[in-house]
Amino acid sequence: MKYAWWPGCVARGATPELYMSTVAVLDKLGIEYEEMHDFSCTGAGVLQERNQKLGDTLNVRNFAIAEKLGLPIMTICSTCQGVMAQAHQRVLSNAGYLKEINQVLAEEGLEYRGTTVIKHLLWILVEELGVEGLKKHFTRDLSCLSVAPFYGCYLIRPSNALGLDKVPIRETSLEKVIEATGARVIDFAGKKACCGFPILLINQENSLKMVASHTGTAKDGGADAMVTPCPLCHLNLDGYQSKAAKKNRPDGHIDLPIIHLPQLVGLAMGIEPRMLGFQKHIVSAKDLLETYRAKAGAIAR
Amino acid sequence: MFEHDVLIIGAGLAGMRAAVEAVNRGANAAVITKVHPVRSHSNAAQGGINAALTDRGDDWTDHALETVRGSDYLADQDAVEVMCSEAGAALIELEHMGVVFSRDEHGKLGTRRFGGQKAARTFFVGAITGQAILHVLYEQLIKANVRVYEEWFVTSLIVEDGVCRGAVTLDIRTGELHTIRAKAVINCAGGAGRVYEPSTNALICTGDGYALAYRAGAPLMDMEMVQYHPTTLASNGVLISEAARGEGGYLLNSKGDRFMLRYAPEYKELASRDVVSRSEQTEINEGRGIDGTVLLDVRHLGRKVVEEKLGYLQEVAHDFMGIDLAEQPIPVRPGMHYMMGGIKTDINGATSVPGLYAAGEVANVSVHGGNRLGANSLLDTVVFGRRSALAAIEYGKSAGAGSRNEDLLASEKKRIQALLDRPKGLRSASVRRELAETMHSHVAVFRDQQGMERAAAKVKELKSAYGKVAVDDKGKVFNTDLIFALELRNVIDTAEAICASALTRKESRGAHYRVDMKKRDDANWLKHILVRQSAADGDPKIDTAPVTITRWQPVERKY
Amino acid sequence: MQATVRIRRFNPEQPANNGKFQEFKLDVPDSTTVLDALIKVREDVDGTLGVRCSCRASICGSCGMRVNGQAKLACKTKIADVSRHGEPITVEPMGNMPVVKDLITDMKVFWDKLRQVEPYLQPEGPAPKGEYIASDESMNHLVGVMNCIMCGACVSDCTVLAVDKNFIAPAALAKAYRFVADPRDSRTSQRLGVLNESGGVWDCVRCMYCVEVCPKGVAPMERIMKMRDLAMEAGYNNTPGARHTESFASSVKSDGLLNETKLAIDSTGIFNIPGQLAQAPVAVRALLRGKLPPLFGHKIKARKQIKRVFEKVEGQE
Repeated sequence: MKYAWWPGCVARGATPELYMSTVAVLDKLGIEYEEMHDFSCTGAGVLQERNQKLGDTLNVRNFAIAEKLGLPIMTICSTCQGVMAQAHQRVLSNAGYLKEINQVLAEEGLEYRGTTVIKHLLWILVEELGVEGLKKHFTRDLSCLSVAPFYGCYLIRPSNALGLDKVPIRETSLEKVIEATGARVIDFAGKKACCGFPILLINQENSLKMVASHTGTAKDGGADAMVTPCPLCHLNLDGYQSKAAKKNRPDGHIDLPIIHLPQLVGLAMGIEPRMLGFQKHIVSAKDLLETYRAKAGAIAR
Repeated sequence: MFEHDVLIIGAGLAGMRAAVEAVNRGANAAVITKVHPVRSHSNAAQGGINAALTDRGDDWTDHALETVRGSDYLADQDAVEVMCSEAGAALIELEHMGVVFSRDEHGKLGTRRFGGQKAARTFFVGAITGQAILHVLYEQLIKANVRVYEEWFVTSLIVEDGVCRGAVTLDIRTGELHTIRAKAVINCAGGAGRVYEPSTNALICTGDGYALAYRAGAPLMDMEMVQYHPTTLASNGVLISEAARGEGGYLLNSKGDRFMLRYAPEYKELASRDVVSRSEQTEINEGRGIDGTVLLDVRHLGRKVVEEKLGYLQEVAHDFMGIDLAEQPIPVRPGMHYMMGGIKTDINGATSVPGLYAAGEVANVSVHGGNRLGANSLLDTVVFGRRSALAAIEYGKSAGAGSRNEDLLASEKKRIQALLDRPKGLRSASVRRELAETMHSHVAVFRDQQGMERAAAKVKELKSAYGKVAVDDKGKVFNTDLIFALELRNVIDTAEAICASALTRKESRGAHYRVDMKKRDDANWLKHILVRQSAADGDPKIDTAPVTITRWQPVERKY
Repeated sequence: MQATVRIRRFNPEQPANNGKFQEFKLDVPDSTTVLDALIKVREDVDGTLGVRCSCRASICGSCGMRVNGQAKLACKTKIADVSRHGEPITVEPMGNMPVVKDLITDMKVFWDKLRQVEPYLQPEGPAPKGEYIASDESMNHLVGVMNCIMCGACVSDCTVLAVDKNFIAPAALAKAYRFVADPRDSRTSQRLGVLNESGGVWDCVRCMYCVEVCPKGVAPMERIMKMRDLAMEAGYNNTPGARHTESFASSVKSDGLLNETKLAIDSTGIFNIPGQLAQAPVAVRALLRGKLPPLFGHKIKARKQIKRVFEKVEGQE
């Protein structure tokens, strides 16, 4: 299967390791893709709060481009996925609205007929490859690691726009991938909550409390790392973790590496950590990688 | 001990309307309610509120006549005149408070048509009219900063030398009993749906207000008049509003016939509720139903109308039956819905006990007589809620001081402790179910002497069994088990009053339809039936009172 | 069918089992709701179970609770939908509120916040003789908000309230919107001014929990977003939140993509030196790790097309 890959703004900006690790993993998994250079930012929900129709028009433009290519869209960001899914639901449930948007796009030589499928890499892994299919690509057993899942709001809510009712596996997809690698899943209450990123620049105190609460709870629960399919969550949980710990933890420390979904998958596939960009993390993944190197043995075939 | 000028029992529409009026007029008024105000059952009124607005060519006397006709001429016409002539002002006042009534194309209040009425004079908010008004009155309660005893239960009214002086109450949260003294008490405690099973009513509708007044010696009037609503869900008794028919919905039998064309050629599905319910039950009894139901069909109205005007109905149909009303007819059957009967009051809410007032469903002014028209109940609550507040304040000015003794508090404490101390016994839920199912079998749409006697005997039996009821929960904090046991006594007393009244009325009128006496008998029974609990033996004592006729002489009802 | 309900118990008078789950196995009809099951437990098995409920028809708002970890209205939740293969159903009291007993919470926080937004109509001048004239469309729009039954589900699961007790939270903010958007209310601007402050509309994280858990489709978050927009229109645009939104839009408009550096500078305020320094340690570390976003941002090739789309759609407003 081939996809129109939309990395999103952040993977091409502040989280280059997500971009790197995605490329490394996709190639080895045999997932074909064409990177979309002419897509626009999805609006991340921020643009939508100012002008929903504007946000929807930009997204429908993206859908139309993929439709023209005859490719489903692959995202690697919970926010991109969620915002696109919401826009898609709105235009598909209201023919008049889609028509209005198409009128704007007509002048740009574009028209959307409503056929584009939009899927996050996480869903592609568990739905298209399947857990067993994915395992076939794994060469290292990660049972030495304990990993906490962190979804990112936009991949969970609103559930109907994301098709969670129709494809229930999506609700536990991250746990499924962690289990597939052999790692232990560290369950905790905040795994589907907000990471705090959207208000980082608006109410930093609250944002940091959220970071401290999630990473701290996972760490206390025994996690060696937290995995997320959302680079925005990563930015906050990784970049602001030490500051959050200083303000909200008695000992001032959490030190929980926040890893991207393709990094976890890459480790299980035996891809060299440097190729997955671990050196670019702010919370050091050194201990994690040491455990990995020392204990993650080869899977016997 | 707490003290107020006016103590209002219940925070539904009548209670909150009364409270807002009293506080805005400077009275020291408080509301006591066993649930938070917005949980009150007025929420469930879906379809709308009636008012004849003169500026759109309607006339309140038309509304009054149709109300009187709907009542099968049992309503007191002076009371109906008050309600219908004040309706316009009451409605506009609600709009000014902030109710988001539906509008017409000119931005003025829009209407829909309701049963038993020729004119479209029902004003509404989608299919959540009761909720929309209840929440706005709660807003007004906040604005007026009214003291609310929230999640407090009234166990008994204080009556000294025949005068009502407050209530003994239980703070559900702490389990402590308190005396609340007041110069006047307004009983707005709502209906008694739990006397029947199934019922459209909420679980909180346990007849508390009727029983409190009944035990305090105030007569209840026309308690045999129990409304069965024509469209309730077969599965759990939940209401499907008359708005469905008001917007143009059809009722169909198993053969697909619009059977109401036969029973009420002129008003069809919008005949009065007693008539429609009887017609449905006849179809079902004669083998033209579908598993004890008939079908309500709104498909021809189109999805837009269904979703915009009947949104809540659509939600209920989906949640409980998995039905999309725009695509599929829904099975419905008559279900217990409303008590026309209640505490006898005058047009100012005064009961026969000085200091005790009543308004809303628990009261009988009487404006509904033998059968209430849809959308007249909300109107009743706000008009008479307000009037009872005015009268209660006025009365309070000369009420004089009562005693400050705590005798009743002490005896109530003893009674409740005895209940808590009983180690084992009957479960109140099963006693209630047995009673309520009996009432539904024998004092429902069709009645006869034998059935009603059987029901009365069952009620009597369970009344004596009440002494054996025990609770699992022996604690103080939020002991709902105890509350249910206290409510059960109210359910039983209300059932007793209904049965005694029903056995008295030897004719068919309104909702009281006897298959063994099918004719209305104005010569002998154009009168109210009063029932009071005898202080001597605790049994019901019957009396009658004349019906007030002002300008509409009784004639045969035809829809 | 068989249903297994695991109820988290709490009784302040008998604290031994507080917080523990008690399991009940019930034989129930297929159409049973979670509330039906709880009532069955209470009536037939264990009368001490504390649960608020009344209407059974999702209109009174009494039975808000967490089912399988998420706030729901028990009477609107079918057993079959939350236990597809007969797995045990977890029932707990709502979050963000103290527990009184079993599934009963103290909703004081909910009612207090409601009072905070002056939740009553405040029209200008004396009332007209008849009704206020208002369009059916505007009233219908408000019906969507009046649908709120104050069950507390959104407040229970609000992720901001979990860290900040000062947040007005979804239900009261939706209630505030009901007046902000009411053409009869005269205090729109003052209301927006208050809601623009700390604890108000800008503190929402857009996690969509409230939209997801609301059993009545009130979509509080969408109302909050609308009020952000209205606040900016009303001239309240010198907050970090307002600047953030503006900066985001202008970045996408000019480059087709998001410029994170500019966003940070604009959001904290161009003259807000402490605010920018607050980002600095992170920025320095990010730079060392080779992950600071490019200072001038990236741009997509079709940015002229994006700009045209922007102008066209904004022009339609």
